[in-house]
Amino acid sequence: MNITISNLHFTYPNGVQALRGISLTIEPGEQVGIVGQNGAGKTTLVRHFNGLLQPTSGMVTIGDWDTRKYSVAKLASRVGYVFQNPDEQLFSRDVKTEVAFGPRNLGYSSEQIQSQVNEALAMTELSDKTETNPYDLSPTWRKMVAIASVIAMDTPIVIFDEPTTGQDAANIARIANVIKTLRERGRTVITITHDIDFCAENFERVIAMSQGRILLDGSANEVLGQEDILATTYVDPPQLTRLGKRLRFKKTVRTEEEFLAALRG
Amino acid sequence: MSLNRSFFVPLDSPLHRLNPLTKLTFVFAMILPAFLSLPAFAPGMAIPVLIAVFVGGVQRQYRGLLFKLILPTILFMFFMQSVFLPIGETVIFQLGRFDVTLEAMQTAFLTVSRIFVMVSSFAILLLTTHPGELMSDLTRRGLPPQFAYVIISTLQILPQMQAKAQTIISAQRSRGLDTESTFLKRVGAVVPLVGPLVFGSLVEVEERAIAIEARGFTSTRPKTSLHNVPDTNADKIIRWIFLALVILSLGGRIWLS
Amino acid sequence: MAIVNLENVTYKYPLTDSPALQNINLRVDEGEFVAVVGPNGAGKSTLCYTIAGFVPHFFKGELTGTVEVAGAESSTSSLHEWVLNVGLAFQNPFNQISGAKYTVFEEIAFGLENIGVPRDEMKVRVEEAMKLTGISDLADRSPYSLSGGQQQRVALTSILVMQPKVLVLDEPTSQMDPIGTREVFGVIRTMAERGMTVVMAEHKVEWIANFADRVVALHEGRILLDGKPREVLTSDILLDKGFGISRYTSVARKAKTRGLWTRQQLPVTLEEAAEGFQDV
Repeated sequence: MNITISNLHFTYPNGVQALRGISLTIEPGEQVGIVGQNGAGKTTLVRHFNGLLQPTSGMVTIGDWDTRKYSVAKLASRVGYVFQNPDEQLFSRDVKTEVAFGPRNLGYSSEQIQSQVNEALAMTELSDKTETNPYDLSPTWRKMVAIASVIAMDTPIVIFDEPTTGQDAANIARIANVIKTLRERGRTVITITHDIDFCAENFERVIAMSQGRILLDGSANEVLGQEDILATTYVDPPQLTRLGKRLRFKKTVRTEEEFLAALRG
Repeated sequence: MSLNRSFFVPLDSPLHRLNPLTKLTFVFAMILPAFLSLPAFAPGMAIPVLIAVFVGGVQRQYRGLLFKLILPTILFMFFMQSVFLPIGETVIFQLGRFDVTLEAMQTAFLTVSRIFVMVSSFAILLLTTHPGELMSDLTRRGLPPQFAYVIISTLQILPQMQAKAQTIISAQRSRGLDTESTFLKRVGAVVPLVGPLVFGSLVEVEERAIAIEARGFTSTRPKTSLHNVPDTNADKIIRWIFLALVILSLGGRIWLS
Repeated sequence: MAIVNLENVTYKYPLTDSPALQNINLRVDEGEFVAVVGPNGAGKSTLCYTIAGFVPHFFKGELTGTVEVAGAESSTSSLHEWVLNVGLAFQNPFNQISGAKYTVFEEIAFGLENIGVPRDEMKVRVEEAMKLTGISDLADRSPYSLSGGQQQRVALTSILVMQPKVLVLDEPTSQMDPIGTREVFGVIRTMAERGMTVVMAEHKVEWIANFADRVVALHEGRILLDGKPREVLTSDILLDKGFGISRYTSVARKAKTRGLWTRQQLPVTLEEAAEGFQDV
């Protein structure tokens, strides 16, 4: 399912111009990381994808749906959105009920709900915690519950807002795994992140935003290698990219494999 | 986010210069006669209240409150009482099957006059007094600091709660929760909204308790205050005058009845 | 001379079965900067709260062993006296704002009002503290109008103005964007350079390697390793237990097995990695 954004402008009621002309197409199955300093417009942009915000001018379409013509509840069947703070959405008495909330809202049959919930729980490594109250889990696991509760909606597009904030290495690896599985299933994944190393390792396409505009948009290696331009939106290149530059590698590297290959060659 | 956290208008008027307690005395010197003295006092007290608005130089801000908050409230109350109070015989006109009587309208007028005086005089206090100074002055005079803290922090944190509630609503709508269409669906949407709000507040309250404790909030040493809140002889005289006026007006009431 | 001394500390939160800290022995010398690393749930926050006195005074629960800071013993002290020696700042900057004040200047003075510092001295101390942390220009702003990084610097300043002997920081940058992280680390670095004793739980390994004197690795409530930053942060033991490690360490470890890293010591920082790889 395509996401098409044409000449999108958005101004908040208080007069802050958050988006100043964004045009963009995201193809089905793409993995996109969005980076840039706070206030660059990242969250404002993705909140247009599921209709939480409506364009001041311009247009956003999800497949054949113009977001202005569909409610958020309706768009939820196409775009899943994992909010940053799990504590701002969990409310059920046990994990499986929580995870079933989304698919139930979307009106799936109970067998379908059952199978989507089970799959989402397996993907997030929560299968042994289905009966637990989410608030008895650690914040780390609550994050996984919030992710599962969106994955279970089985949407073609999934958005993550700062998924790694406050997470430890083990949980970041778990989240990376979820994203990898979604990629294998052909889902579009769009992730806002400050964690540039996480971005480098998990996304093929990277968009850098600054002051409501797109600064850079291209393959991860193309974008993450542009140290000077990224610096204007306060993004440091990934650690291995910086190391590669220091060692005067001809090509931009971002993963360990690329680095080791460049080191040998 | 530009949320207004206090009504205070920083100016240098005679009213601003008064000690907070003096202004608090003024508030009660207006309210007590309006509620307890002769009925004629209720609308009458509106005059000194309005004069105070001009002395404080806060006409513009007061006008804003008047049109957005005070007038709509009292008009609504006036209408409700005039129509629905089952008193009096002098029917002026009929509204559907309700008789609107002169007596009901008089009672309604008295009620809204009292409300007007009460809300307006508090508004003047808040518009011309820095809330921090009000609390530190009252704390100095013996109000428990915990009590002052609860009042001030609640005022400041409410707009944050509102913002948080908005995020929770967005998160749940993104999970397909229909909060817009039918009334029943809205009612069903309450649990997913209130649950996280309550839990989040519990976490916040605990962390904030730790944060203020870490800054000596429960220290047993005598507290000091950053702001010097002056209390002049003029303040004291004005407070005695207000007190005398209150006693006179109440005394008059008792004497006349 | 040890200013913080924990001996055989074991602690259980109320209504829990397993201890959050088990048999912790930790001495921190005056002026030392100790970083605490570990996966979520390892006990980093609990350790911070213990040194800061909130465990057990605020959280209750069962604590055995002894906790000493600046010669005083936690079990026989009251929390409101303890906090004068140990300053605490934590992750969420927003929840650290008192809510009782309307400007940054007033917010920073809040603690001094509570402990009865005279007005003239209070003003001087607030101004000096703001200068030190570089937030003098925020003095008249509302604490609620600030960015996360600015709020966190206000929280740190509010603690520093009370002149604690030990500063305890529980992942102060974990919720910051890159600019906020830079700003907050800047303040902490200044404090460390001025000889403040700091105990700081933190995930950002590269930064720790540059600025900490010592690293303590916590796992399941126990101290797993305690030593020089480079030794601890490049240890193979961390790899298996879900600790965050620097990409430089991890890529050099792989390079080593292929003969592409020849030094004995694995790198933690960009500089070390660049030097080491230039050998090849």
